[in-house]
Parts: sequence; structure tokens; C-alpha cells
Amino acid sequence: MKQRYTITAIAENKPGVLYRIADLLLRRKINIESLTVSEIEHKGMSRFTIVVDAERDLVEKIGKQLYRIIEMTKVIESTDDELVPREIALIKVTAKTKEKREEIEQLVRLSKGRIIHIDKNYLVAEITGDEKEIDKLDELLQPFGIKEIVRSGRIAVFK
Amino acid sequence: MKISGSQAVLESLLQENVEVIFGYPGGAIMPVYDALYDYTNDGRIKHVLVRHEQGAGHAAEGYGRMTGNPGVCLVTSGPGATNLVTAIADAMMDSVPMVCISGQVHSGVIGTDAFQEADVIGITAPVTKWNYQITKASEIPEVMAKAFHIARTGRPGPVLIDITKDAQFEMMDFSYPEDISLQSYQPTTEPHQRQIEIAARYLNNAERPLILVGQGVQIAKAQKELQAFLEKGDFPAAFTLHGLSALHSGHPLHVGFLGMHGNYAPNMLSNKADAVLAIGMRFDDRVTGRLSDYLNDATVIHIDIDPAELNKNVPADVPIVADAKIALQSLTKAIRKNTHTNWIREFKKLYEVEKKQVIDGVTHPKTGEITMAEAVTLLSELTKGEAVVVSDVGQHQMVTARYYRFSRPNSWISSGGMGTMGFGLPAAMGAKFARPDQEVISISGDGGIQMNIQEFTTLAQEQLPVKVIILNNGFLGMVRQWQQLFFEKRYSMVNIQSPDFVTVAKGCGLEADRVVARIDLKKALQKMLDHNGPYVLEIKVEQEENVFPMIPTGSSVDEVRLA
Repeated sequence: MKQRYTITAIAENKPGVLYRIADLLLRRKINIESLTVSEIEHKGMSRFTIVVDAERDLVEKIGKQLYRIIEMTKVIESTDDELVPREIALIKVTAKTKEKREEIEQLVRLSKGRIIHIDKNYLVAEITGDEKEIDKLDELLQPFGIKEIVRSGRIAVFK
Repeated sequence: MKISGSQAVLESLLQENVEVIFGYPGGAIMPVYDALYDYTNDGRIKHVLVRHEQGAGHAAEGYGRMTGNPGVCLVTSGPGATNLVTAIADAMMDSVPMVCISGQVHSGVIGTDAFQEADVIGITAPVTKWNYQITKASEIPEVMAKAFHIARTGRPGPVLIDITKDAQFEMMDFSYPEDISLQSYQPTTEPHQRQIEIAARYLNNAERPLILVGQGVQIAKAQKELQAFLEKGDFPAAFTLHGLSALHSGHPLHVGFLGMHGNYAPNMLSNKADAVLAIGMRFDDRVTGRLSDYLNDATVIHIDIDPAELNKNVPADVPIVADAKIALQSLTKAIRKNTHTNWIREFKKLYEVEKKQVIDGVTHPKTGEITMAEAVTLLSELTKGEAVVVSDVGQHQMVTARYYRFSRPNSWISSGGMGTMGFGLPAAMGAKFARPDQEVISISGDGGIQMNIQEFTTLAQEQLPVKVIILNNGFLGMVRQWQQLFFEKRYSMVNIQSPDFVTVAKGCGLEADRVVARIDLKKALQKMLDHNGPYVLEIKVEQEENVFPMIPTGSSVDEVRLA
């Protein structure tokens, strides 16, 4: 049965690692739902957070095959209940009147987001949270007219 | 003292004790070739000028397989590098140590579609164990040391180093790293002792144990350890294509060749086993047949140095990550001396069935054309099984695997995972450089030889005494066999015209002969073996000979067909 898994891969920060990770997933025809990369607490090391929707067995095999990448030091496959996940989203929403702006500001605030940019025709809201919280705000702001939405993809720490 | 990046490449090769490189010059690797002029003149390095870069790759594979040290190839950018890709992929599939050095265009024009530019790092990433592009001469020593370390350790494999032309010219201070230790790459070689004990207990208690031996045993140079282990436990052992020469073919515990065209007994009895130890093999689909019906009654113990192989195709009850040699030593200590006379007798009985129904007929026919099996059997007798035999891909490959009786460890090379036609001749050249004192015989079909026949002139130029046998049946035989059995004899595009091989060989500067009649076969083979130098022998064989037994694709191993 397919399920959402987060593969956390720690590798040396060298060229080519991302290419090989992507190729491995491509060969197994696994679609990457999201992928974020950044440096971690150990200098020279990068952390890849890869969200996939796939069967457990396949994810475990991928986990082992990722170790074939010479620069790879650690690979952990997790389900959502093992993680504290976060994502950031920027939502640009149409707001041409004072009333609309106030209404949007209130919705954003109640959703634990904030307004980070104001223009006479639109607002930009920022929200961090798990995917559901972001989906919720997205849904709440839809009626106002969303001009752009961009999401960072998941980062996560282990529980 | 400062030296150029090109000299640094060659100094690095000397540091790695590289004796021979296989290559082809071209624009983007010319600085290295210029430096090589001095190194070859005074004999520090031998360079073999192949006629196509794919030949360089397979030759390096042959060398790598024989020695365990990476075979080295040197090619130019663009087409030079892309011509090498098939050989790199072949080496990846068969875990062959190889270091490929490709020239690259000047770093300033990378990405501009410059002349003979190709994204070689991108192209080779999926088929290399590791690859790296050097744009500064100062990177060369460390990257070269890392390349050799990665290629030869753990599960061996091909590595590609792409060096820009400016890095080849740039001057630098050379010092070679004495020791390479990579933070992230630390292959596990020591088995987990607890797992060894559990494995030993299963093997001790098994009534019908079966050992599946793969190439990992030979990569680990563990042939003696394998024999000691088998003899202590009195275990029958069956062999994958690459594992075949890990034990003398005539050893009483050698129960044959596994898989699609393997022997009847190990295929029929795999599913009767109650404990299976697979060592240094990867449960390829050609070995397992239909997976859902494979080894269902057995406790499976799987030893491999690559953790990703464990549970990949066949679930392992006892997975052990280790070097085969160390694992076999530990396991031999842990098992008790045992006998399995009745179980081994079952293999012998089924061997007799196969002998009567298949083997005798093809190895010793009285009438008709010469058969491939007959030629290989005779060659095996004349060489006492002591030659290094290199095959191409096709029917002749399976026939050679089936009928050559290997008496020396690691004396059989073939393209297994990729099944690359054209592999045989260049791989045999590489093997001969690795084992100059041994007879090296390449066996190809009429299709395969034509894929890299240009290497005839390399043999002639080097006067390299490789013996080339062409088993000519006028067909792309393996495809024809499948068309006969599974496509209602619709022989689509398998009728292949060949040149006059004897004339071609002679035109390339090689001695050559052809044999058509059974009565002349032995004499022709003996003449080939006696010849002091390279030699091509074309043997005209029966056109529609099939290779049996056969496990049709998608069938279970015990549905193996004898006819």
C-alpha cells in the first residue's frame, strides 16, 4: 500500500549527489513530492529531506540503494508520526479594499501566519506549519483570489 | 618541482602500480597523450591503442576481472567518452573494477556546446560507482587516489574521472596521498558474528542444504575458503554464470550452473532445499526464474558486501553484510563437519538425466554439422580446462559456460548483467595483459564478433597471443532460438551475413583458419593452440542448434525444460 514517507539522507556536500539521488528515484519511477536540501550542524554535510508516496518495501530498498552513493553517510526512512515536520509557504492574495485587507489579516493571524508585504492591490502572507495548516490557510484565502502560492517543501526533525 | 596536470595523471597511475592502459587519443585528451609519450618510451607505462573506445572499456574490464586491480582506460571528450559508456555500464552490472579517464573541453567553454563536448558526468552518473570532473590540476592526485580506492574496494565498480583540457595543461606541485579514508564510504567487510552463528545453526540442521556461489567469491579471492567450507559441511554448491570457475568443475560438490540455461539438477532442486546459502550473488532474474515460486521452503542466508543486495529480490532470513572471504572463514569455523550423501546423490541422479537427454547428444554427435557444445568440449579437453576463457554474449556463451570444465580459479570472463555483445574479444585482450603466461581464448558468435571486430588489428599490432574462436551458425542464434520457441518460428532479422572471417583476420595481419568438418575439428583446435601468436579460428557450426535446458522467462526454476 502506498503511503507518504520522508527519506532523510545525510551526505557530504559534493557535486553530483543530488543528481544521483534523483536518478535513483527516477529509475524506480517514484515521484518526488518535495525535496529540500541544506547544510546541517556538521560542516560540509548536507541534509536531503525527500517526501515520496510509495510502498514501504520500495522505500526500504531505495533507502539501502542510496547508500551506494559514495558521499552518503546516513539514510533514514520515516512515516509522518515519527517526525516534527514543517514547511513554509508564501501566499500572494488579492486585497483591493480596506475591508478585504482586514479580513485577510485576521484570517492569517488566526492561522498563526503573518503578513510580510502590503501593496495596494495585494497582500503577501507567510505561514509556517505542517502541510495541513498550510492547506487550511490556502483554502481560507481562496475566495479572495490567490495570485501566487509558493511552498518550500518539507523540512523535518525526528521526534 | 612543478609538473603539468597531464604528468600528474600519469604519476598517479604509477603510484597505483598501473602497468597498462587501454585508450584512444583525441583533441581533449591530447595533453595527457603528449605526456604519455615519455612514459611509454622508457617503458614505465604500456599503452594499448584500441580501435574503438568500447574496446578500451571491455579490455579494461578483462584486466580488472583477472587482477582485481582496476583496468584503466583513457579517452577523449564527447564521442570518445560516450563510446565508452556501454563498457562502463557493463562493468557496473558485473562489479568490475575500472578507472576511466576522459578528456573534457576547456573549463571556460563547458556548457556552450563546444566542439566534442558532452555532459559525461551526467551521462555516466547512473552507470558509475562514482564520477568526478576535475577542473584544476591541483585536484588530480587526491581525486585519482580516491578513484582507485573506490573502484577496487567494497563492491568493485567503474569510476570515471573527467579532466578539462586546461587542468591537463596547468602546472602544479605533485604529492600523492598515502592513504585514502573517506568519511562516508566505509564498506563493511567483517560479518556480524551473531548472524554467522545463526547461519551455521541453520546449515548444521539442514537436511538439504544448497550453496549458491556468485562472483563475489572470486572478487574476494575466496576460492580456497569456499572449497574448505563446502568440504567440511559436505554441501552441494551451484554456481551463477560469473561464479562458475570459483571451484574446479570436476569437484564432487560442484553440482552445476544455475539459471536459465544452467544445469537441470541445481534448477530442479533449488526449491527442494531446506537451507540455502547465497554468497556474493544477487539473485538475478535469470537465476531465480519466477520469484514467487523461488526457495519458498528454504531458510535463506545471504552474504553480500553490498547491503542493498540483501532482501532486494529474495527475502533473506539471515542477511550478512561482509566480504565473502572473511564470511566463509567465520562460517567454516562455526559449522560442524557433516555429510549429505543422499541429498548429493539426488543431484547426481538428475545430472544423469540431463547427460542422457541433452549433454551426450550435443557434445558427442555422430552425424550432422559440428555443434557448439562439441567444439567447446573438445577445447576443454585439449586445454585441460586450464585456459582463461572469455566469451561474448549469446548461445555460444551459454554453451561455453555449460561445457568448458574450468580447472583454475577465476579463469572465466563473460558479460553477465548487461549481456553486451562485442564484449568477448576486447575483454580477452585485457585478460591476456593480466595473465600473459596463461592461454587466453576468446569465444564469440558470428554476430558478437562483428560488433568489435576492429580489435583484430589491435591484436595484430600488439602481437598479443589471444586465440579467437568464432562459432559461426549464420544466425543471431539466441534470438533465433527464442523466436523458434516463443514466436512461432518467425525468424525476424536474425539471419546475419558475415564477412569471410579468415580473410578479414588475415587482412588485419592475423593468422587464421576455418573448420567445417567434424573430422578436422580437433586438428584445427590443436593448431590454434600450438600457434605462437594471435590466431582466429572460425568454426562453422550447426545452424539451428538450441541451448537446453532452458527456463522460459516467467517460469519457475523447477519448470526447466530439457527440450
